[in-house]
Amino acid sequence: MSLVTELILNADSEARYPAPKELRIFQDFLKTGEQRIRIAGTLSENEQRIIQNAFAKFWERCPVTPSNSGNPRKTASCQRDVGWYIRLIAYSILAGSEQPLVEIGTVGIKEMYNSLEIPLKNIVECMRCVKEETLSLLRPEDATEVAPYFDLIIRSLS
Amino acid sequence: MQDAITSLINASDVQGRYLDNAGVEKLRAYFQSGELRSRAATTISANSSSIVTQAVAKSLMYTDITAPGGNMYTCRRYAACIRDLDYFLRYATYAMLAGDPSILDERILNGLRETYNSLGVPIGGTIRAIQAMKEVTADLVGAEAGKEMGVYFDYICSGLS
Repeated sequence: MSLVTELILNADSEARYPAPKELRIFQDFLKTGEQRIRIAGTLSENEQRIIQNAFAKFWERCPVTPSNSGNPRKTASCQRDVGWYIRLIAYSILAGSEQPLVEIGTVGIKEMYNSLEIPLKNIVECMRCVKEETLSLLRPEDATEVAPYFDLIIRSLS
Repeated sequence: MQDAITSLINASDVQGRYLDNAGVEKLRAYFQSGELRSRAATTISANSSSIVTQAVAKSLMYTDITAPGGNMYTCRRYAACIRDLDYFLRYATYAMLAGDPSILDERILNGLRETYNSLGVPIGGTIRAIQAMKEVTADLVGAEAGKEMGVYFDYICSGLS
């Protein structure tokens, strides 16, 4: 789901053409395409670096956690999951909608990590570190676009 | 339904990847076409009923189909026919805005041929009317946007035949 799809489904549910206001929103959204492509590119190019730095910070703040337990398999799967969230945020930025992140990554997130017996408050702390690292790489106007998606993940964990 | 953006996202997600360069280029082209697409939608929405009227005049009005025994004879059938053309035009416009034909499959084409066959609606005449609508629309919105709309009119035709 993207902003474009949302707008079309909205019009369709009332069997009408998109209203002038909706077409303005559509056009304004497409105009920000270059910025969206730039942000998604930065996230993709720096994913590994973000993860390395964020986990170093996270383990400092929260040393007793499965990813820091000396089990390389646990560390790798935690870091892989965080990488996925960065990718899902890149999708959401391109789509101009939280739906890709929500549909793929936050519906059921609590239940999943509870069942994996990973403490939710640790993941929240970890996501905060990932957020800080990510935002530090972006221009201020790009950071404002990205931050709400991290907040959404953090909110859905609590 | 999908659009030009979500179809690329969905294809990347099943592989767990970011968009590749080809995907980014497609996306960039779509983002740059925003003004063209919204201008075309505005024009079509303002002229939708006259597009249908002109398309019918061009393709069906003066043929046997509107005469007694034809499938557009009786006002009720005539009205059903122009209502369907209205739908086709609106959904083609949605698909043009989305830059993706999937909404046509979901909302128009699934089961349409079977429905038309059981109602005795001639597929050939329907396709002629859609092609006429494509021409009328292109005259109205200009060559570039007309070509893009044409993609989705043709998609409906090939889904029907």
